[in-house]
Amino acid sequence: MTRTLQTTRDDYLIAGFAALAITIHIAESALPSPLPGIKPGLANVVTLVVLCRYGWRMAAWVSLLRVLVGSILIGTFLSPTFFLSAAGALASVAMLGLLFALSRALPGWAVGPMGYGVAAALAHMSGQFWVAYAVFVPHSGLLTLYPLLMTLATVLGIVSGLLTHTILARLNSAPSNGNPV
Amino acid sequence: MNGVKLSRGDAVVWLLTATLLMSLYMMFWQADGHGAEAVVLVNGKRWARLDLFQNQDLDVPGPLGHSHIQVRDGQVRFVNSPCPNQLCVHTGWLSQGGEVAICLPNRVSLQILGSDPRFDAINF
Amino acid sequence: MIKTFSRILLIFILAFLTACDHKPVAYHEQLLVFGTVVDVKLWDVEETLGRQAVTRLADDFDYMHNAWHAWHPGPLGRVNQLLASGESFTLPPSILPLIQRSSELSQRSNGLFNPAIGKLTALWGFASDDPPKGPPPSTEAIRAILDQQPGMEDIRLNGLTMQTTNPALKLDFGAFAKGYAVDRAIDVLRELGIDNAVVNAGGDLRAIGRHGDRPWRVGIRHPREAGILASVEVEGDESIFTSGDYERYFDWQGTRYDHIIDPRSGYPAQGLSSVTVFARQADLADAAATALFVAGPDEKDWLPIARAMGVSGVMLVNDDGRVQLTPGIRERIYFIPPAENEQTNLEIRISAAL
Repeated sequence: MTRTLQTTRDDYLIAGFAALAITIHIAESALPSPLPGIKPGLANVVTLVVLCRYGWRMAAWVSLLRVLVGSILIGTFLSPTFFLSAAGALASVAMLGLLFALSRALPGWAVGPMGYGVAAALAHMSGQFWVAYAVFVPHSGLLTLYPLLMTLATVLGIVSGLLTHTILARLNSAPSNGNPV
Repeated sequence: MNGVKLSRGDAVVWLLTATLLMSLYMMFWQADGHGAEAVVLVNGKRWARLDLFQNQDLDVPGPLGHSHIQVRDGQVRFVNSPCPNQLCVHTGWLSQGGEVAICLPNRVSLQILGSDPRFDAINF
Repeated sequence: MIKTFSRILLIFILAFLTACDHKPVAYHEQLLVFGTVVDVKLWDVEETLGRQAVTRLADDFDYMHNAWHAWHPGPLGRVNQLLASGESFTLPPSILPLIQRSSELSQRSNGLFNPAIGKLTALWGFASDDPPKGPPPSTEAIRAILDQQPGMEDIRLNGLTMQTTNPALKLDFGAFAKGYAVDRAIDVLRELGIDNAVVNAGGDLRAIGRHGDRPWRVGIRHPREAGILASVEVEGDESIFTSGDYERYFDWQGTRYDHIIDPRSGYPAQGLSSVTVFARQADLADAAATALFVAGPDEKDWLPIARAMGVSGVMLVNDDGRVQLTPGIRERIYFIPPAENEQTNLEIRISAAL
């Protein structure tokens, strides 16, 4: 007996964007990094683009799928690295959800890519940092690093905001096949 | 990257970010610094507070005579002291927060200020 | 509705960011008393009260140091002279509680903590202001004292009247007076209404209360290298005392002789480089650290003593660097890696429960 799974157009979009994000995620993880756990976070740009064009629900799917599938593909699933990036992704998805809801409630004060980028990066870094601190290395000497990491996250957040802005501008000048929010 | 515009919402987020970063530096970096200051006590009373990055030599008067203290590039030590066992001199250079050298006979002590936020007390 | 909610949220975020301004501060002072540096840290105390408390502690410590000093002239020195005469005499009241409490602890330690072996300590050269140099004393001299087995049970005490029949008995409270003094300091602070404090007498400390929203953090020194071996958090009321072979020692022809004398052999205790004891009272922790150091690295030897003395936790560092811990301490202690990216190659063994 076959059962047909109802798929919607959204599902295809989520799958497509998640695939893109996962590709970037894997590419990034292959890059040498000056500090363990510090990555440019280009995969987050995909999340931000999806957020701005299709809303928070879909962005959350893309982001969480990326962490889950990405870690299975790289082979870090259920390893410390996985828990760190899951914590980061959850925190940034929650932060984006908050800002997204606020933007809807107060359209005059709506947040754009530049705000989302920085807020997501900060939340991501905080999520990772506190899980690392609480679970893996409860050493208070680590706390000295926190402000530096957050500064770095701000810079990376601005960069991802700029990239998101550019990509959105290109997408908007091309014919859209989605529903802009 | 032409035409990047900050919305009012973005501005608020950035403002909050700036405030957050500032308070993070204040919270986690304020008291600890890098062990940049030391305090000299004579008879338990503060005699001088030293900037460890300002090289200087001090003669600290105690009951037995003068203890010679030297500051060089973030470190500080007893060069000589009029005590029989010279324990303070043998302690050598201090640079880490919380480190102490004492000349008990001459009642002079030297400690790098609270720059080790990891510990409230050291058990040795 | 959502609008109002989000405004309130914004205000909360802003309020949180600016709330870090009025932190209560620690009142911190160092005293050069008791032959060491006594570090007093009080949390969230008005400066006037802090100053008053520390002044009072300084006076008390000075008084106790003079009264209980093992080789400077003073009340304890006089008691030792009178003890040597064999006659009965009246004890200075300041010494009485020290004798009572240390006798009790000595008995509980099965004599491994023994403040009556002052003659042995002096024979080895550890009862002096000068650093000990060696050579080690002759076997005959050690035998002569050991044969008479001086112990706290040789003291006859009736009210303030005291006498001993053992001519080898000489009191030295070196392994106990500091802890006893720290306990009295904590009593004084509590009397003054201070409930959050650490009194750290040259590394031997008792902590009460908390450091604001977190426990007090204590670092335990590495017995062999510069720096910190482990850290542990303390709150409520607990003492941590460490005895180590690195505190006072001399090297003679390739052998290290440390200041902790085994009352059974008359020689410095062997096999351990440091003992850290956790207990509520500092005097108990102090006496127990010495007793366990004497008992040695074998669990069969030290565990019964730790149990009999009623300590709450023990960490031993063998002289080959291996660490032994009681189970309760294993959960609380964090070993600090020697350097970044380097594995801690500490060999840690958990003992049976206390």
